[in-house]
Formats: sequence, C-alpha cells, structure tokens
Amino acid sequence: MNAPLLRVAGVTKRFRGVVAVNDVSLDVPAGSICGLIGPNGAGKSSLFNLITGYLPLTAGEIWFAGRRIDGMDTHLIAEAGIARGFQIAKPFPELSVLDNVRMGALFGRAGPRDVAAATEGALALTGLADLADRPAMTLTVGYLRRLELARAIAQRPVLLLADEPCAGLNPTETEEIVGILRQVRDRGVTILLVEHDMRAVMSVSDRIFVLDAGSKIAEGAPAEVARDPRVIAAYLGAPEAAG
Amino acid sequence: MTLILQTIVDGLVLGGLYSLAAIGFSLIFGVMNVVNLSHGIIVLIGSYLSYILWRTLGIDPLLSIPLVMVALFGFGYVYQRGLIQLAVDRSSLLASMLVTFGVALMLRNVLVLIFSPDFKSITPSWAFNFFVIGPITVDLVRISALAASLVLLCLLALVLGYTHMGRVIRATAQQDLAARLCGVNARHVYGLTFGVSAAFAGASGAILGIVLPFSPPDEAHWTINAFVVVTLGGVGSPSGALIGGLLLGLISTATSQAIGPAFPNAMMFLILVIMLLVRPAGLLGNAFSGSR
Amino acid sequence: MSAAGMMMAGGTLPGMLAQGIAAHRGWIALALAALVLLALAPLYLSPFHVRVAQLFLLSAALAIAWSLLGGFAGYWSFGHTAFIGLGAFVAGLVETGWTWPSPALAFAVGLLAGALACALLAGLIAYPILRLRGIYFAIAMLGVAQVLGELNNSIDAFKGTMGIVLPQLAPRAVEPATFYYYLLLVAAAVTLAIGFAVKVSRLGYGLLSIREDEDTARMLGVPTERYKIQTFVLSAVLTGVLGIIYAHSLGFITAGSVYRTDFSLNMIVYALLGGMGTLIGPVIGAGIMVVLTQIVLGRLLDTHMFITGALLVILVMLAPRGIVGFVKPILARWRGGFR
Repeated sequence: MNAPLLRVAGVTKRFRGVVAVNDVSLDVPAGSICGLIGPNGAGKSSLFNLITGYLPLTAGEIWFAGRRIDGMDTHLIAEAGIARGFQIAKPFPELSVLDNVRMGALFGRAGPRDVAAATEGALALTGLADLADRPAMTLTVGYLRRLELARAIAQRPVLLLADEPCAGLNPTETEEIVGILRQVRDRGVTILLVEHDMRAVMSVSDRIFVLDAGSKIAEGAPAEVARDPRVIAAYLGAPEAAG
Repeated sequence: MTLILQTIVDGLVLGGLYSLAAIGFSLIFGVMNVVNLSHGIIVLIGSYLSYILWRTLGIDPLLSIPLVMVALFGFGYVYQRGLIQLAVDRSSLLASMLVTFGVALMLRNVLVLIFSPDFKSITPSWAFNFFVIGPITVDLVRISALAASLVLLCLLALVLGYTHMGRVIRATAQQDLAARLCGVNARHVYGLTFGVSAAFAGASGAILGIVLPFSPPDEAHWTINAFVVVTLGGVGSPSGALIGGLLLGLISTATSQAIGPAFPNAMMFLILVIMLLVRPAGLLGNAFSGSR
Repeated sequence: MSAAGMMMAGGTLPGMLAQGIAAHRGWIALALAALVLLALAPLYLSPFHVRVAQLFLLSAALAIAWSLLGGFAGYWSFGHTAFIGLGAFVAGLVETGWTWPSPALAFAVGLLAGALACALLAGLIAYPILRLRGIYFAIAMLGVAQVLGELNNSIDAFKGTMGIVLPQLAPRAVEPATFYYYLLLVAAAVTLAIGFAVKVSRLGYGLLSIREDEDTARMLGVPTERYKIQTFVLSAVLTGVLGIIYAHSLGFITAGSVYRTDFSLNMIVYALLGGMGTLIGPVIGAGIMVVLTQIVLGRLLDTHMFITGALLVILVMLAPRGIVGFVKPILARWRGGFR
C-alpha cells in the first residue's frame, strides 16, 4: 500500500475561540482526485489555508510526499509542489493572461526550467491560448476560473488544491472545468477539490471527505457518501427536523 | 530632582500642544482612511491667520481662535468635497494622499511668497509673565496655550460623543455602508469631518503662534508630528491624541535634557520607526475599528 | 506556437535576459541612439544646457534606482535621500580621513566604502521595515532619512555641520563640468542597464507579482521576503553611488546639502509623472521636470514648489498612470489598426 501523497493528521485550527478545523485527519492518495465537501462554514477553505502554510496550525501535522510541511514557509510549500486555486479568483489584475500564467511557471516547482513549455501547456489545457494578451481584469467569471486553474497548472504541481473552481458557472462551463481537471489528473497531478456542485464532485472524485462545522463526519467512495445519513443530515438538517 | 520635575512639566506642557496639533490629522485618518499630508500647512495657515488678525486688528491670539476655526472649517469642507473626494473617487486612497501632498507644496509656496520665509511670532502684551510653583517655573504663554489646548480637546470629545454631528461622524467611520443605508450622506459627513479637523488644526496653529516662532517650512514638521502622535497614541480619538501627544512631549524634553538639544527630532523619528514596527495601531488602537 | 511562445526561453537569468533583449529591441536601439546623442552633447550644447543635461542624467538615474523598489515592487520609500547622504558622507570621510596617493584611488575607495555603508544600512533595516506596507513603509523610510540626517548633522565626528571638502576628481586637462557630465552619463547608462536586467529577469517578475498581490505571490512560490530585501539593498547601493558622484560634483557638502527631503520627493514625482512601474517612465518624468524647472521656469525660482505641487495634483487627478500610462493605450490602438 503506497503512502498517501498528502496526509492531514489530527489538524486543528482555533481562531480566538472559534474552532474552524477540529481534529481533521485525511489521506489523499497519489494520482487521485479527492473531493472535499460540506456545508458553508465547514472549514474547507481554512483547511486549504493550513495546507498551503498561509495560516499556522493550532495542533496536528501535515505531511506531503513524506515531508512534514506544517510550519513551513508558504513559498517553500509552493516550491515543494502544492499549487492552489482560490475560491474568489485572484489573478494579477493588471497583467495579461499570458503573464499571469507565466508567473506560475516561473516560480512553480521546477523553478526557472522549461518556463515556456509549462506556460504553453497550461494555456492549451485550459483553452486560454487565444486570450493570452488580454489583461486579466477584462475576463468574465468563466475565463477567470480557467485562468486561476491555468496559473496553478503552470506551476507543475504535484498536488493541486482546487477551491470551488466551478463556482458561479453554468452546467456547460462546469463540465469543461471537470474535463480540465480530469486531464490534469491524467498527467499525474493529484487533485484535492472543494466544490459545492454535487454532480461535478461526485462524477470526478475517486474519494470524498465530508466536513461539517470543522470536523470530518464521513469519507469514502462517492456513492457511499451520498447515502450516508450523517452527510444527508449535515446538508439538510436532521431527519426528525426535516420530517 | 528639580531638573527632572521641570523636564516633566515642560514635557507635559509641550505634549498638550502636540496633542491638539495632531487631533485633526487623527480624525481624518480614522474616519476616512485618508493620510492628510497637508495637515501641517493648515496648522500654519492658522498661525498666519492669527498673526494677520493680531497685527492688523490687534485681536489677541487666544481670542482669534474662534475666527480662525470658522474660517478653516469652511476651507476644510470645500477642500475635501471639491478635491480630495474627487481624488478618492477617480483613483485611490493613495492618490488622495499624493493630492494632499501637492496641495501642501502649493500652499507652502504661496505662504512664502506672501509672508517671506522669515520667522514670525505672535507676542501679545501678557506674553512675558511667568508662574513659579515651588521649584518649577512655567511661563504664562505656555500655560495658557496648554489650557486652551485641553479645553479644545475636551470640546472635540464632547462634540464627537454627544452631538448629532458627532454621532453621525462616528457611525460613518465605523460602517460607512450601513450609515449610508440609514440615510447618511457620507460625502457630506466626510466634508464635515475634514472641516472639523481643519478647524482644530488651525486653532492649534493660532496657539502655537504665541509659543514658537513659525515659518512655512515648518509644515513638514507638524505633519510628521501628527503622524508620530497618532502612531504612539492611536487613531481617531481625542484621548489617543492626548496620550500620544503627552508621550511625545515628554520624550522630546527628556531627550533634549539627557542627550542634547539637537536630538529630540532624531529621537522622535526613532520612536516612530520602532512603534511602526512593534505596534502600528498605537497604544489605544483605532478608535473606530470596533465593528470593522 | 504563438508569436509570444517563440519568444519564451527558459527562466534562468541568461535565458530571460536574451528574451528580454529580443522583446525590447526597439527600445534598446532608441536608448543607444539617445546615449550617443548625449555623449556628443558638450560639442553642440551651451555650457548652461550641458549642466541641465547633467542634472537630467542624475535625476533620471536616481528615479530609476528608486523605482526598483517603488515602481516595480510597489514599496514607495519617502526617504531615499538617506542613501544619498549616507553614501556621500561615508565616502567623504574616508577620502579625507587618510592621505591617498591619487584622487582616483581616493575616489575608488570612497565609492566602495559609501556603497558598502548603504548596503549595510539597507540590509540591517530591510527585514523589519519591509514588513510595513503602503503609507507606513513610506513614513518609516522618511523617519529613517530624518534620523540619519539629524545624527549626521549633530554628531561632530561626522562633520555634518562643518562640512567636508571632497578631493577634486577631474584631471587637470579636463574641465570639471565636462568630466562630471561624462561620469554621470556612464552612471546613468549603467543604472538603466541594471534596471533593465531586473525588469526582464525572474526577480522583476517576482517584484511585479508582489506589487499586484503579495500574498498570492507567496502562494505561487515567489520568495517575496528575499526578493524585497535584495531589491531594497540594490536600490540603496545605486542611490548611494549616485549620491557620491553628486557630492563630488558639488565639491563641498554639509548634512543639509545631501540629506534633503526634496530629493526623496523628486524621485517619486519623476516616476509618477512618467509612469509608475515602468523603466522608461522615471526617465521621461525626470526629463520633463528638469526641463520645466531649469529652462521653462528658470527665472521663477521661487515658484518651483508651487509648480511641483500643482503638477502632482493634476497628475493624480487626470493621469494617475503617468505619461506612459496615458500614451500606451493610444499607441496600442494605433498599432492595432495595422494588424
């Protein structure tokens, strides 16, 4: 049994009395797409912030590719091979699409090597090659989401943390994003995906983790999780109350 | 021992002046997040206005304060709504800061052209008396300046705390969107805030005019001064300005005494840099950040 | 492969420099032409105009040096005069403190010492001071400049009030004005070259990302702290070297003549006027301001501050991106018609 690429072990994050993440443990196997779901405020984005080193842990450990990364500097974690796309797209507004993606390639895991190939590849994969010269701030939501992904892909990551890449998209656009994610996985990148669009997450994930109010309440194959009463209760309220 | 006491008293007296000279800047920063780099020149305009009134009409500088305040309130209101608001709308807060800097340069040049760069001072007939309390000597000028400063600071605190205008200003400072949804005309409030700020800056200028000789290049000093006071004491409240000002006054006189009269400025900047690194919000923090 | 794609080489320094040079062929040709014109200037310009050109070269170089941190990274220092003063005085003290066999050697040692002092100061304060952002950083740097200036002035050993007479550098056969003109021409060219190298390198891209969104940049893998510190030190050293040359051109310096707030101010105004964040912007801004104050308003010395202030206000209101920002969209539309 291979060691997981990402191991989150007993991770807790406390913000002055509010427990955002409560003793969460999960393993992401290499080469898989794992979904992270849960109602709003469940702690999914906080978990991403902890993994990327943007926030310090209150307790627990995070292991990536056999190295302990909690406590490491943000940019070193990025260099180690974790890339992140944001929930609210954060392109560099004044720069062109090309320069945005190139930024990811320049500073990603492989550093200064093969910048051209990585940039070109990312643009092609996300279908943004024709928009390369447009300033990022002129893009619509759909393209912004792709730019977010393209920049992360250009970093040549080992693990991609995708934070609601389909937010605000219609079903067609969502399908396109899912297709991109599949292609990214086929190139050997492991993906941890936060998404509210249930159909998208269920269709593409190998494994699903469910968070609610900071704690993990279920994990397993998509079909199992969909049937799990605790998960249903978390989203819809307890069966007694719904009845 | 006497020396230490005298130094402390001098420091507090100076500090009171510093507090009043900084409160306008603090208010604008707290309410509108604008760094008003023309603060110092407004202080000096107050000094020169008082000077003109004294020389041409013989009005005692302390009595000229209300006149100066009214005049500068009007100036401040127009300045904010006519220029600064435009800069903020069209560009950014940083842009508004640069605009205030440009205006400061322009007004400074104008003052030099009108009044020449020579130092002026206002010396009313009662200026040469002094009190002796035990071992401590304080001159009348400084004591009355301090008294006037404290009165004005209290006045501002009362206005902010208990009048309708004060409440509206505070509400807009804390949550401007919510205030607007309640029917507050935010732009008008910003204009009022700037007007109040300019009025108090001018008042401090009038008071400082009797204590120290002044000339247009001093404006930079008073702007920086205000920044240091705010950094020390906190943004947006008269009490923050008071604490910051008193601290600064004490540090100034202590440095002058302990190290040498040429060093208070250097020490002031050193404290500024250290405070910015250690606790940029100041000792009392931002008075309006409670619900931000 | 798109045209842009063909331009992209690797991300290593030689690769990026080559790519940068290729992408800016036109500009480089222009710059070389300008350099030649300026090199020949003493032959066809009056002595007064040569002095104006000299001031332009110094101003442009200083503006570029400031812009590395201010324009590229977005950290506006209001106190860069600190390095002018520090460089000048350390060089002056070293050059006059010992007897040197030749003025050239004295200058070389002074230059090295001054540059080192600036590097040390910048390196020492970089880590704490670069945690501040926006106006706080700006004012903190202003504070540093003031403290340094006051200390330099008040402590007798530094001869701030007494002043230092700097050794005459110009060889006897050469007119000092001409000598310093060419010295500054070389210094300006070198500064421009360094600015260009930074702009097209990985460091330059990193600084750009820091300016746009520092937190996201870190998450992308940009070593933001390291880049900021490196740029701060580089900017400080360049400014210091230019300050040392300036000091020698003056011949006699006091603390008050080299620690001047308007030096700091001018650097910002030039970059703002020409176009903040660009390399050519500070040069354009310096050119316009020098011509404006020295030639157009030469007689009206006592309105300079007013003009600078008015210009600042107008700029911010009407053209916040400076001249380059104003012209670029027009150029793009013009070029677009040719496709």
